[in-house]
Amino acid sequence: MRAANRGDAVAYRRVLTAITPVLRKVVRARGAGLGLEGCEDVLQDVLLAIHSKRHTWAEDAPLRPWLYAIARHKVIDAFRARGRRVELSIDDFAEGLAAEAGPDPTEGRDMEKVLGQLDPRAAEIVRGFGLHGETTAETAARLDMSEGAVRVALHRALKSIAKLRERMIE
Amino acid sequence: MKTDELIAVLAAATKLQAPVARMMALPLFGTVSLSVVSFAFFWGVRSDLLAALGSMAALKTLVPLVLGALAAALALALAHPTRVANGPASALGIVIALSALAFLLALGREGLAGLPGALSTPELLTCLLSIPALAAPLLGVALWGLSAGASLRPWLTGAMAGLAAGGLAAALYSLYCNMDMALFVLPAYGMAIGSVMIAGALSGARLLKW
Repeated sequence: MRAANRGDAVAYRRVLTAITPVLRKVVRARGAGLGLEGCEDVLQDVLLAIHSKRHTWAEDAPLRPWLYAIARHKVIDAFRARGRRVELSIDDFAEGLAAEAGPDPTEGRDMEKVLGQLDPRAAEIVRGFGLHGETTAETAARLDMSEGAVRVALHRALKSIAKLRERMIE
Repeated sequence: MKTDELIAVLAAATKLQAPVARMMALPLFGTVSLSVVSFAFFWGVRSDLLAALGSMAALKTLVPLVLGALAAALALALAHPTRVANGPASALGIVIALSALAFLLALGREGLAGLPGALSTPELLTCLLSIPALAAPLLGVALWGLSAGASLRPWLTGAMAGLAAGGLAAALYSLYCNMDMALFVLPAYGMAIGSVMIAGALSGARLLKW
């Protein structure tokens, strides 16, 4: 995480990938009523919060308590807000029946809605990194922007996404 | 969007925001300067300032200043999950307890009947309006800066920001105010700073959510 906060994208990706299964387990254990997709949305909220607040972690402090504090805050927040629209699907009652191949359990729904509200170019940049696994240089070349401009645009897009999601769950 | 895809997006966004304290430093310095200048312009210092600062009345300036500094340290710590600030927190508690004790002692000396007399002066309204007015811009900038942090208890962080702004404003106002009776200063300044603190708590609960 120390390297990540100094701009090492590979290290950062490793940190996020390592903590995601743990966080997913926590979210699913608490949010059985939300369904897998709902839980994945909460998990994505937590990841976005960790990302946008990572400058509040001090390099000389242990990382785990900080991560836990952020995740706990966000999970409680998300469940409180979503509590009113807990969804029950037929699957909840069909336990033990042969399950049909459901949707991908790591697919969130909220993100698509939010990307739809973003300005198209910003959404395009986010999708470029997410769906196509582009690098900053590739995105810059495709959209005819400088790499610095892509970085700034991505930073801003993630800020707007966090804000929009916050508004969505209120 | 899948979570793995989100991770790819986040990992690409390596631009890191500046630490909260560094981000706030310059705007806060500007706002303090603004408060000092508008104080000099609209209020001005009392004519016997030097004599007053050599007497017990200096506490009128010092105590709010210390209170404000401790609350500022606490607010900043509260904007960082897991950061502890037990030192400032207990020091703050002690200063508040001592002020309350001083008020009770003054009350015991003069009797409860002395309180309405001490407070029934037009200076009371000036005090109750001036301190919040001087504090408002400070509180605004402080809340803006703290919202870049990650406060787990927004209302408490907001209250501490209010106490910091109110304390600093009171210290400034005390250079103008020529009422030195403990029975006036303690309740009047207390109420004025308290109102800024309540405003901070209420707006913090909204503005510091994330």
